[in-house]
Amino acid sequence: MQLRDYIIRRLIILPFLIIGVSIIVFSLTRIGGSPIGIYLSHEMTPDEVAQIEARFHLDKSLPVQYFYWARGVLQGDFGWSGVSVAPVSEVFPKKLAATMELSVAAGFVAVTLGVWLGTFSGARRNKPADHVTRIVAVSGASMPNFWFAIILLIVFWAELGWAPIGRATADLYAMVPQRTGLYTIDSLLAGNLAAFADALWHLILPAITLGYGATAIIARMMRSSLVEELQQDYVDAARAKGLAERLVLKKHARRNALIPTVTVIGLTFGFLLQGTVAIEIIFRWPGLGKWMADSVLRGDQATLMTYVLFTSVLFLFVNLIVDIVYANLDRRVELGK
Amino acid sequence: MMGHLETDMADAVRTAPATVASVRDLKVHFAAKRGVVHAVDGVSFDIRDGETLGLVGETGCGKSVTGRSFLRLLPVPPGILAGGSVTFRPHALCEDCDGAGCDACGCTGRKAVVCPSCRGQGCATCDGTGAETIDLLKIDTETLRKLRGDRVAMIFQDPGKALNPTLTIGQQVAEVFLQHRTDELIELAGLSPETGGALRRFARQDHRFGDGILLSLPPFRGQRRRIQAALDKMVARALAETQVPNPASLMDRYPHELSGGMRQRVMIAQALACNPDLLIADEPTTALDVTVEARILELIRDLQMRRRSSVLYISHDLSLVRRICDRVAVMYAGRVVEIGPTAEVFRNPRHPYTRGLLAAVPTADTPRGGLAAIKGTVPELVDPPAACRFAGRCRHETEACRRFDPTLEPVSETHAVACFIDHPAPEGDQPSFERITE
Ligand SMILES: Nc1ncnc2c1ncn2[C@@H]1O[C@H](COP(=O)(O)OP(=O)(O)OP(=O)(O)O)[C@@H](O)[C@H]1O
Ligand code: SF4
Ligand SMILES: [Mg+2]
Ligand SMILES: [Zn+2]
Ligand SMILES: [Zn+2]
Repeated sequence: MQLRDYIIRRLIILPFLIIGVSIIVFSLTRIGGSPIGIYLSHEMTPDEVAQIEARFHLDKSLPVQYFYWARGVLQGDFGWSGVSVAPVSEVFPKKLAATMELSVAAGFVAVTLGVWLGTFSGARRNKPADHVTRIVAVSGASMPNFWFAIILLIVFWAELGWAPIGRATADLYAMVPQRTGLYTIDSLLAGNLAAFADALWHLILPAITLGYGATAIIARMMRSSLVEELQQDYVDAARAKGLAERLVLKKHARRNALIPTVTVIGLTFGFLLQGTVAIEIIFRWPGLGKWMADSVLRGDQATLMTYVLFTSVLFLFVNLIVDIVYANLDRRVELGK
Repeated sequence: MMGHLETDMADAVRTAPATVASVRDLKVHFAAKRGVVHAVDGVSFDIRDGETLGLVGETGCGKSVTGRSFLRLLPVPPGILAGGSVTFRPHALCEDCDGAGCDACGCTGRKAVVCPSCRGQGCATCDGTGAETIDLLKIDTETLRKLRGDRVAMIFQDPGKALNPTLTIGQQVAEVFLQHRTDELIELAGLSPETGGALRRFARQDHRFGDGILLSLPPFRGQRRRIQAALDKMVARALAETQVPNPASLMDRYPHELSGGMRQRVMIAQALACNPDLLIADEPTTALDVTVEARILELIRDLQMRRRSSVLYISHDLSLVRRICDRVAVMYAGRVVEIGPTAEVFRNPRHPYTRGLLAAVPTADTPRGGLAAIKGTVPELVDPPAACRFAGRCRHETEACRRFDPTLEPVSETHAVACFIDHPAPEGDQPSFERITE
């Protein structure tokens, strides 16, 4: 099957998957009880409560409620966020931008560092450099990231005072017009280098913390698949043609070792998103993760559902992208099988 | 005066023994948990100019390890180059006949390169041959890299595995030219020989950061296209030599889209692309059907005859070796036990192991590749004792065979054997073909 046809087919299926996902999200959230709690206060009379219930269709059956919710979502109305005291649709983009900035930076760290470390390690199999790299990787993959975050915070923020906390120095950033909501990009677009340096400075520590676990996973995968590729006959055949070791690695083994690694990179994206919750709380990063944690504690179902729906849909797209990249790297892949 | 000297030098090279490569007392061991495996343990033989030398023996006897030593393609560790040498005498196009074949080069069209240290007079470095002699086990990796694929090439057993699954056939064959024929490529593209920078790097498969952008801009873009076109032309020519139908369309295909025979043709095209002096063929047809095998053999034979390359043909199929090899070396448990002209070895085998092999071979219904008609199994190669390796399986063995280690000694001018039947044992009972101990 042609790659283009395959993509079109996948895109056609996508809306149905999203509907399925939304039903699951809605049902799971409702298991936690009625969303009415966040709108109530102690002074309200039962009459007033009933009024609110009627206003939000909470007196109807569940399928009807789902219908109202889904219709709202399609119209861009995700409900009222009790935590932020504003419509979800208004707050969401800002939170999303913060989280995107953090996870893209972490993803960048993880992919470049992970692929590089894995290659470095795999090409030096069983040599001291390999062992050191593997220890770093194993500890990264097994260490809970909130714990690592706290350690880094104690060392670099509390003790040394080198790293800041939060997202930016408020008065520096106040002068920068918000175009994308990504502070680094916005400050660059505005040509404000001081603000850019500040945004980057705030970003580095949480990004490294968040990316570390994923770096470790990617590095381990890269190493093991590179070691496997290096044992293949075609590697010897390339050497027999007169390719220098550097080229054998670069043009032959590394490229093929990347194929299984791409799948892992896709999976680590989910790992990153999960990780944002703890990292954002610890570093006081005002993103989706922190918002969502607050919402769970306060029973803010509208926010919660939006978050879960969003991450699920994101995953569907990431999977599609991984499949396409995979097919591009490996021509043997039979698409649609 | 000078010219006279040069003629003398050339004469010295001409009369030198025409040996393209010599293996002397080669020892390759492997560190394993059970001890040191003596996979190759004192192997010696010569490969002569233009000949096909067959290397036969049971599985695990060290054929592949010997063959790979020529290109130093051994995993080290666990491999250990424990001693010996593999010397190689590179050749160059005969300038008298420009490759057509004349008396000066013995009709081969190529001549040994003159030894740089004695200028052809004969010295210790060249073993008195006056031809440049390179120890493939000792030279630095860059010199070795330049020889690999250019002067010494290799074909592997399984063409399905020896081709990179994610690169096209064209990309893979092109690499040989990019590594060894950069100048020709630039010339064929009609560019000046002084062409340097990113363009030369492109013609050398040496990509540097930023080259991609630079070469996509005019005027480099057009020049890069010309180099690419020249490269495609060279690749198509190399593929056409192996009689593949429609070589140009083959170039864009991936290995998994081809049949086994086709893939092996691609491997052959790749190996012979630079006209090597020596081709190591490690069971190139074992993974193929019998019908395809015949055609591939014919092809190798044909290309070799035309180019006068020497071939080390590794196989465990005696009938096949008999068909295509000029001489044959029989290996057993890390040793060469018998070597000689194919006709002579087959007519008058002197080693009990060779006899066993020959007795097992010719019938049409014995399984292909199976040599195991000799009773017993190959001994463990871990720290072998000083004894004949074949003792324990040999019908003629005596006490002497278990106490002493026979060395390869001549039985005629061309034929040598490592067995006490033809050479006196240092002491004790002499084995003989008449005496069968069971
Ligand atoms: N990578 C390796 N690691 C450890 N031991 C090895 C390795 N390669 C070869 N050996 C040892 O060397 C011995 C000879 O192997 P080799 O591949 O040369 O056999 P062969 O004669 O080519 O057999 P076959 O007909 O099966 O190809 C083997 O028995 C094995 O014990
Ligand atoms: S030396 Fe002895 S054991 Fe070895 S092959 Fe000859 S007769 Fe047999
Ligand atoms: Mg072998
Ligand atoms: Zn000539
Ligand atoms: Zn010399």
